[in-house]
Amino acid sequence: MKVLVVYCHPNPESLVAAAKERVLAGLAQRDHEVRVTDLYAEGFEPAMTAHERRTHREPGVEPELQRHADDLAWAEALVLVYPTWWSGQPAMLKGWIDRVWVSGVAWELPEGATVLRPLLRNIRRIVVVTTHGSPKRMNALEGETGKRVAFRSIRVLCSRRTRTTWCAIYGLDTADETKRVAWLDRVERTLAKL
Amino acid sequence: MHALVLIAHPCDDSFTHAAARAAVAGLEAGGHTVDVIDLYADGFRAHMSYEERVAYETDDPIKDPQVADHAARLKRAQALVFVYPTWWSGQPAILKGWLERVMVPGVGFVLNEQNKVVPGLRHVRRIVGISTYGSPRRYIWLINDNGRRVLARALRLSCGVFARTRWIALYSMDVRTDAERREFLARVTDRMARL
Repeated sequence: MKVLVVYCHPNPESLVAAAKERVLAGLAQRDHEVRVTDLYAEGFEPAMTAHERRTHREPGVEPELQRHADDLAWAEALVLVYPTWWSGQPAMLKGWIDRVWVSGVAWELPEGATVLRPLLRNIRRIVVVTTHGSPKRMNALEGETGKRVAFRSIRVLCSRRTRTTWCAIYGLDTADETKRVAWLDRVERTLAKL
Repeated sequence: MHALVLIAHPCDDSFTHAAARAAVAGLEAGGHTVDVIDLYADGFRAHMSYEERVAYETDDPIKDPQVADHAARLKRAQALVFVYPTWWSGQPAILKGWLERVMVPGVGFVLNEQNKVVPGLRHVRRIVGISTYGSPRRYIWLINDNGRRVLARALRLSCGVFARTRWIALYSMDVRTDAERREFLARVTDRMARL
């Protein structure tokens, strides 16, 4: 499969960075083609500009974002690797969605239509690898918004039969080394089966 | 009450900015004092930096004077009013980043002696969301209103038990008539005056 890994964490020493390495190790066990986007490393600017907002009905991304749009059009599987902050994707990753999943790339709105028409039918797998500082019950109370954004908001722009996999660790603030290691192993196993 | 109004839209001539002006007018008419932060106009950096992420684990998590200023203004607020367009069912990145960078340990929440998270915003009695949606309401219901959940659940857990939320939304934004838009602005003013 053609797999696009989008990784978002400012600290290369973090558990999320380690998870990204295990994602790649898992994928390497099969004959996948893999592309990796490291949003922090490339200095991605997450805030949509006034110019982009004013032209958001016109198809296409800004020229400097074309590679991101090409990657989405190429991918059959999307793997998002990020820490959950305030119940959802970090601003950096949310900004990648805001600025790249635009008209002409992820959707179109033909004259008279009221609901977006998906353009990313090439994507049929979405995998989320994420960490939560707080326990699972706390995240349930907060509404698991990151999961809903990944598996509902953006998934409806992909293939109708897109399968989703949630590979998350909870309660990281109090987790010991054993729990972290076990989760990293699970990340690699999950991606090896993709 | 003292209200802090946060605006997140890149264009000054946007409907979001009109809604923010309507909110401020309503708050002032209701005898409230108002402080406004326009995130784009202030050039607020949307993403948490490496330095901030490392400092997050320490007793001194704020590294940027602008964030320190916003945190100080936040501590004076009894009402938080968020005005933004809903994109991909959530806050624009710049507003999501504001929550991440400003609501750090010691501001949004505090760790007590048992290392448990306790609310840091007990002074906040109202959380208000004023948002526009391109999609119809039933579609938002299906997809889930994640921006609303972040403010009404995740953020509210950082406030006192008496904090209440108000949600003022305009759905199907793209097909609204001028009259409907004006009516929405009037509703914003009216509800803010009665906050």
